[in-house]
Amino acid sequence: MATSPRDTTRKQRRDYARARRKALEEAEAAAAMRQTRLRLLGIVVTVVVVGVVVVLLATGGSAKHGIPASKTEQSSVVHEVSNEVGGIPQRANVLGEPTAPVTLQYFGDLECPVCRAFTLSALPSIIGRWVRGGELKIEYRSLETATREPEVFKAQQLAALAAGKQDKMWNFIETFYHEQGEEDSGYATESYIHGIASQVPGLDLMQWTSDRGDAALSSQLLSDGQAASAANLNGTPAFLIGRSGGTTSKLEPSSFTEPGSFNEAIAKLAKS
Amino acid sequence: MSARSLRITLTVLTVAGLGIAGYLTYVHYAEVQPVCTAGDSCIKVQSSVYSELAGVPVALIGLLGYVSILGLLLARENENTRFAMMTLTLVGFAFSGYLTYRELFSIHAICEWCATSAAILTVMAPLSIWRFLRDAPTLPTPRLYST
Repeated sequence: MATSPRDTTRKQRRDYARARRKALEEAEAAAAMRQTRLRLLGIVVTVVVVGVVVVLLATGGSAKHGIPASKTEQSSVVHEVSNEVGGIPQRANVLGEPTAPVTLQYFGDLECPVCRAFTLSALPSIIGRWVRGGELKIEYRSLETATREPEVFKAQQLAALAAGKQDKMWNFIETFYHEQGEEDSGYATESYIHGIASQVPGLDLMQWTSDRGDAALSSQLLSDGQAASAANLNGTPAFLIGRSGGTTSKLEPSSFTEPGSFNEAIAKLAKS
Repeated sequence: MSARSLRITLTVLTVAGLGIAGYLTYVHYAEVQPVCTAGDSCIKVQSSVYSELAGVPVALIGLLGYVSILGLLLARENENTRFAMMTLTLVGFAFSGYLTYRELFSIHAICEWCATSAAILTVMAPLSIWRFLRDAPTLPTPRLYST
């Protein structure tokens, strides 16, 4: 059937109206979809940000240690440290029998968290197996890394060396690492250092305070830094190992929290 | 960039990240020294308390994340897979940002493997957001018939 020009115009108008309505519906659907997507993105970003804050707070909290407030907790640390180094000869910065055939030099910064991880994880096993067995002695040497202010570094490391004048340096070091504060929080104040010293059993605090000003200890600190530079050590913890009295070489363990690499190197040197 | 090119780019980046996370997971469990050009920085990071989250190695968490992202990229693409992929990428980006913060301000050592993974996720995050947002239906323009 033929259509008149008037009918065609009406049909075209109907088609145009339909197309326009469809386009509007699609535009509305697209806008709604875009809104939904943006809203979803906003929700995801918010959840992720909240998650990061929670993880930061949770892991930041676990890094906070410091001197325990209660005497019971302090006693627990003292007990743990005494169990680890008690009964082992100490002289100045050295832990172990003077005649031990192998010497491990441990370069550390008392505020270094990785040193703490090493001291609390791998070191007890090394001490228990090799130092108690008389085959290894460990020299603690100072290298500034994590401590921001050189004056603070000097004060805390000299405090440890001064405890060494009473052959209790390792008790001081171990206690410091057990009760290490949150990094960059400025926790290593005089009061904190005194708090650590007061937990070292048998340490004469008057004598210790006086020894902290000993010029020989300052020279030792300087000498430790020079030894580290000479051995190209620029991070802590760092280790030099060798036969006692002989040359040393750098020990690069595969892990600071597992004693495997240390055991291997010590066993090799002890046999040689 | 076409949807196909974008998908290929994201897949290549994911495979690279997967390789890094896989290597670090192997290093963690095999207790071997990671290959590291920056001295013992990688060992420090791997030995730090931040190398595990609730007892799970972060390298393993990363590996699982990359595997999931790869799975979503290889799956049939639709609104849900694009959304899930973007979510995982943003979580990974935020997590690697947190780890980089810990490396810089808590451990004071940068593990080049972790830094590379963080860089990969930094590129992937905006790409995955773009991919999710840009695929909105295009608006047809109404056409007026001429008489």
